[in-house]
Amino acid sequence: MIREGRRIGELGLMETSTRCLILACGNTLRSDDGVGPKLAEWAAERFRENDDVRVVSRQQWTPDLANDIAAADSVLFVDASLKSAPGRVSLNPVPLDGQSNGTATHHMEPPELLGLTRSLYGAKSTHAMLLTVGAGSTELGDGFSDTVEAALPRARGVLEKAILQFLQ
Amino acid sequence: MSQTITIDPVTRLEGHGKITIQLDGRGEIKDAHFHVTQVRGFERFSEGRPFYEMPSLMARICGICPVSHLIASAKACEAIMSVRIPHTAAQLRRILNLAQMVQSHALSFFYLSSPDLLLGMEADPKVRNILGVAAAKPELGRAGVGLRRFGQSIIEILGGKRVHPGWVVPGGVTEPLEPAKRDRILAMIPEAYANIALALGAYKAIASQFKAEIDVFANFPSNYMSLIHEDESIEFTDGAARLIDVTGAIIEEGITAARYTEIIGEAVEPYSYTKFAYYKPLGYPEGSYRVGPLARLNIVKRMGTPRAEKEFIEFRQLAAGPIESSFYYHHARLVEMLHGVEKIEEILADPRILEKHVRATAGVNRLEGAGQAEAPRGILHHHYKVDENGKMTWANLVIATGQNNNAMNKGVLQAAQHYIKDGKFTEGILNRVEAVVRTFDPCLSCSTHAAGQMPLQISLVSAAGDVLDRVARD
Repeated sequence: MIREGRRIGELGLMETSTRCLILACGNTLRSDDGVGPKLAEWAAERFRENDDVRVVSRQQWTPDLANDIAAADSVLFVDASLKSAPGRVSLNPVPLDGQSNGTATHHMEPPELLGLTRSLYGAKSTHAMLLTVGAGSTELGDGFSDTVEAALPRARGVLEKAILQFLQ
Repeated sequence: MSQTITIDPVTRLEGHGKITIQLDGRGEIKDAHFHVTQVRGFERFSEGRPFYEMPSLMARICGICPVSHLIASAKACEAIMSVRIPHTAAQLRRILNLAQMVQSHALSFFYLSSPDLLLGMEADPKVRNILGVAAAKPELGRAGVGLRRFGQSIIEILGGKRVHPGWVVPGGVTEPLEPAKRDRILAMIPEAYANIALALGAYKAIASQFKAEIDVFANFPSNYMSLIHEDESIEFTDGAARLIDVTGAIIEEGITAARYTEIIGEAVEPYSYTKFAYYKPLGYPEGSYRVGPLARLNIVKRMGTPRAEKEFIEFRQLAAGPIESSFYYHHARLVEMLHGVEKIEEILADPRILEKHVRATAGVNRLEGAGQAEAPRGILHHHYKVDENGKMTWANLVIATGQNNNAMNKGVLQAAQHYIKDGKFTEGILNRVEAVVRTFDPCLSCSTHAAGQMPLQISLVSAAGDVLDRVARD
């Protein structure tokens, strides 16, 4: 999803400034890995009329998203998690001083992205949270496991509350 | 006793690969190979599918250069349909292709190779990555992010998605360009020029520090092939190809997609799933050739756009004949990015780009068709056969990376022979061996039409076949 771009300051930011950026990640053809894009789709519809919310959904989080993050007051990452119990919905802050393990090219984790944003665009008090839903299955498929399907209402609730808090 | 060095994985490449370096009993380099270790099967599982599905299907081969596959595939389909697409559709596809080229070259230069160029080949691997570049040279990091965004935004504006866009179909494109979208693209042009100027300046400032690498990074005479416009300027999307020899003399001219497989063969080696393309009259491996930015700038006589033309003239002064060191692929990419932005601006300035007729329609009129286009890494060829109902019966793809395969292998051997003495090596030396492959910017997923997440491995192997060392990165 693209909004009209405009230059901000001297750092060549081409994205419209936004109060809350939703950055979802996942593969919709890999069963529960698609929960990020699914929640992003819901958020885009839920906040369709609100210009303070911008939703971006990608298969991977890549370095060029640093530009989008720099133009936002707050960022909410949304993804499936292989580390959490299936269906578990978690919302946690993301540290802004992200460290890298040196392999960032195709995909970056939220702390790395925030660290890259800071390096490229300077220190900024961007609030960042990560919402995850534990994945039950990442096999080929375009539907969710029963557990994740059942967790979606709760995940939407947590997502909505987090966005509204960012907008306060 | 002989030894084997394995570099596994090779980092900062698109795809899975492995390098093995074999030492003899005296610790000298006996041989080296670049192995591509995936198999995907796109050519096989497309059999039975309706031919008009092929562009969308084939775009899934790769997430970096799906547009190249969309265009080459669509052209193969159009050969089956026996249609010529509307001029506006051809120009719109050209914009899409150039945008992809810009973002792909930006990825290659800024994300994959600049850590070596700007931080040094011996820099700590922990910082020798895009994050390290961002910390040390934030203005260049921003330039890279900006150019990736430029190309990907255009792809999304035109094709609906940044990765695996639709829009390109057999017969043309699905919808015309609206004035508002044209204006959005034009608004991004000035910053793209500024970012490329920054990158060119940074590259020229440091290039002289890499004389040793320039001398041994796949630096040898070779043949070259690329598309070329009728006026001998650079061409990425349409037309025929030219093959030149080591002196720059034309070996073969007017290589259309229909003639491609008459003159280009593909060999198979036991150590890699990537095929090795060669010019049939010269046989394999003598008929091997290079493709991609270095090949294109060695073949064409002009860029056709003013800013890139100035850079091209300066680039060609690097040698009297064809420029041979693959290190100069980096420079060539920057010149091509500049041309891409200029050409996009030029095409959008033509009011015909907003015309509504953008698709020709037809059914199956021939049972075989081929299409070709320049991908960022070099010329890409799709060749299909169908039955009378339009169902695919056979497909063959000749990928740019496969056409550079022989040169990559020779380059790895050359670098290994130069840097590894008495079986001794450092991490920086092994990084240089990897960096040779990076100059080609290979797309290993495409070259085997393969899947998965992809690092590269380097192994050091004894004459007895024992793996003595491996460089592996998680």
